Amino acid sequence: MRLVDIALKDLLQIIRDWKSALFMVVMPILFTVFFGLVFSPSSVDGDPRLPVGFVNQDQEGNLVGRLQELLENSDIVRPVSLEADEATRMDEMLRDGDLAAALVVQVGYSQQAFAGEDPSLTVVADLSTTSGQTAHSGIETAVSRLRSAVETAHISAETFDEQEGFESERGRQAYLQEAVDLAIAEWKQPPLRVDVERATGGATPEAEAPSGFAQSSPGMMVQFAIFGLITSAMVLVLERKSGALKRLLTTPINRTTVIGGHVLAMFTVVFLQQITLAVFGQFVFGVNYVRAPLATLSMMMTLALWAASLGLLIGAVSKREEQVITWSLIAMFVFASLGGAWFPLEVAGEAFTTIGKITPSAWAMDGLQNIVVRGQGLNSVLLPAGILLAYAAVFFGLAVWRFRFE
Amino acid sequence: MKTFDIAFKDLMRSLRTPFALVMMFGAPLLITALLYFAFGSLVGDGDRFDLQSIRVKVANLDQPGAQDGLAAGQMLVEFLQSEDLADLLEVSIAPDESSARMAVDGQQADVAVIIPQDFTAAVFAPNREEAVNLYSDPTLTIGPGIVEDLVRQFIDGFAGAKIAAGVVAEQVEERGVAVDMRVTQDAAMQYAHWQESSGHDHAQAEGGSIILETRSPSGAPSGDQESGGQGSGMMGRIMAGMMIYFAFFMGALSAESIIREDEEGTLERLFTTPTSQAAILGGKFAAIVLTLVVQIVVLLVAARLIFGIGWGKPLPIALVTLGLIVAAAGFGVLLMSFVKTTRQTGPIMGGVLTLTGLLGGLFISGVPNLPEAFDTVRLSMPQGWALHAWELTLNGAGVGEVLVPVVVLLGLGALFFGAGVILFRKRFA
Repeated sequence: MRLVDIALKDLLQIIRDWKSALFMVVMPILFTVFFGLVFSPSSVDGDPRLPVGFVNQDQEGNLVGRLQELLENSDIVRPVSLEADEATRMDEMLRDGDLAAALVVQVGYSQQAFAGEDPSLTVVADLSTTSGQTAHSGIETAVSRLRSAVETAHISAETFDEQEGFESERGRQAYLQEAVDLAIAEWKQPPLRVDVERATGGATPEAEAPSGFAQSSPGMMVQFAIFGLITSAMVLVLERKSGALKRLLTTPINRTTVIGGHVLAMFTVVFLQQITLAVFGQFVFGVNYVRAPLATLSMMMTLALWAASLGLLIGAVSKREEQVITWSLIAMFVFASLGGAWFPLEVAGEAFTTIGKITPSAWAMDGLQNIVVRGQGLNSVLLPAGILLAYAAVFFGLAVWRFRFE
Repeated sequence: MKTFDIAFKDLMRSLRTPFALVMMFGAPLLITALLYFAFGSLVGDGDRFDLQSIRVKVANLDQPGAQDGLAAGQMLVEFLQSEDLADLLEVSIAPDESSARMAVDGQQADVAVIIPQDFTAAVFAPNREEAVNLYSDPTLTIGPGIVEDLVRQFIDGFAGAKIAAGVVAEQVEERGVAVDMRVTQDAAMQYAHWQESSGHDHAQAEGGSIILETRSPSGAPSGDQESGGQGSGMMGRIMAGMMIYFAFFMGALSAESIIREDEEGTLERLFTTPTSQAAILGGKFAAIVLTLVVQIVVLLVAARLIFGIGWGKPLPIALVTLGLIVAAAGFGVLLMSFVKTTRQTGPIMGGVLTLTGLLGGLFISGVPNLPEAFDTVRLSMPQGWALHAWELTLNGAGVGEVLVPVVVLLGLGALFFGAGVILFRKRFA
């Protein structure tokens, strides 16, 4: 009972401080919104395909329209025709993110392609970005298919020539054009294709990529579980500085109860924060936490336990208020980045990812994303939750070892 | 002289405080170092991400008939297992479709490639369609995208031959010429030869493509002219973002010393000495500027030495540094002029600076190609102007190009500073 009293006292102290609401609720929500918008797939009028500038300098060419059709048919890119004045601003549009890439069809391209010269096209893209690489790949597929159609036309014309022969060069050209049209029509719905299915278990509707909030919402839950420790760990430091902790030892309350009371308060604070952020994520950002309520609850409880143990450790090693802020910030930066709370670990280098995957924050992210992105249930969080519990035990042990009442 | 003494004393106090040192140098360098570690491969050679191996589970359900002469499914498996792709893909075979899917669900694989039972049959039979199914981990985008590209390229070869045979049959037949099996097979073979020679040329081509000549957008951030590469440009922008955030933080933290000394009563005692109030407050403000000078110079040099960031040309760097110092100092003075006690400084500094830094784009400075709307939002904040100025110098801009953001920063800094000084003078009048 005394343990609960100490926890309630800490909670009252934290709740009365308006800074708590700022650090634990307002800031994580702001960050979730901001990063969610930044990392959400861009779409224009509901079209999620990457915009590719299309500059046609081959005005007379009869292959350009076909190439544009193939690009229109792509699942990855959509062509945006650029007039002469817009084409001069093409590089600027790429830098500003209005276009993911641009394709320039030079004068004489169609003629050279029909003559079997295999001319190349110019692509302008920043290949250091995912969108640049993806758009490049989409363009390459479309251009390969156009070349294939031209080659098909040559093969067909040659075959007909061998069998019957053309009456005139004009007839041959018309035949070639018809063959290209037929082949392009086939390429729009190729007989052999690749179907892509995301293993979302229904977490997101079919054919829909997870939104940026599926990364930012759990990410900010993990980050601010650590950042929020500033206020709760501060209580501990202030009690030590004021001598309240030492005075408590003169009462019948034992050391375990005092430490347990403070940990219980920290756990409750982080757990309530998690619930608030999950509710916000569910109803405002459409991140589906309630699809597996038990799994979500398990993750939130174990994350809160680990964060509380970390908070106790920070409170144990800090002598002054500034030290609490410093250690909390360092812990937040290290665990949030290495754990994939800022960006998916997939985009980082191998060494970073390998180290990152050992951190408790990465397991927290993994468990939460198993629910909201992979659409899995309770079984999928048993391992992440178990590992978080083990980390909580280790951090708690360290905190108790380092804990000083004066 | 007394102004300088006060400024020097405050500077030394900052440099002796571990918390201030962490905020001045530790935090910005730590965050940049973490991101350098994460994206270090991008900073190195080349301009493509050095990806982790993509774990691919293949379930080959293809059952070719004896008459088909080849096993298209097995060819796809061998293509994915080829030595050329060994660095990129880590391919293992699943006995059936459900094991392949379970491997992805259990995160044992990033993507499952499921080759259908009638794949080979569909390659040969006219009017027959078939799909290779990719089942991927939804938290991943890059790896599954690459596998999709590779599989699509491979099966496009078969699809092209099939289309060629179909087009030949349709066109020739339409002109009243009988088409037998041999003609369409010849057409498919011809196509396959072309595909093979074209693929060979493709592999030989420098840069990996003979059909596309690729260039980067002109004026794209290139970062360090010496180390080159887009990655160092990204690191430069990240470091600039962190430097600006923590410069504004230090501007406010240094200005907090006025509140602290007021609270501790030392400021009041100073006012009783023959030193004028203007000299005392001037010394306090000069300390903020001095602290920021030390912080920014150290960060610029450290970032250059540790991360190889080339900040640009010396004169524009000096101008942008000046602009940043004036804006950060002015903002700090104004912010602290609203604060009554040191208990309020933490949340006000944390809240206001994080919010304005967020809107100023400091936390996403490494993200390329953001929508134009973000540019508009970020330029409504002094931090956004500072980031814009540093981006220009990182791109090698000259004095003329950085002049507008520098003038804006100086103007905003002067405005903030003036307002802050008026408020402080009123308080101590």
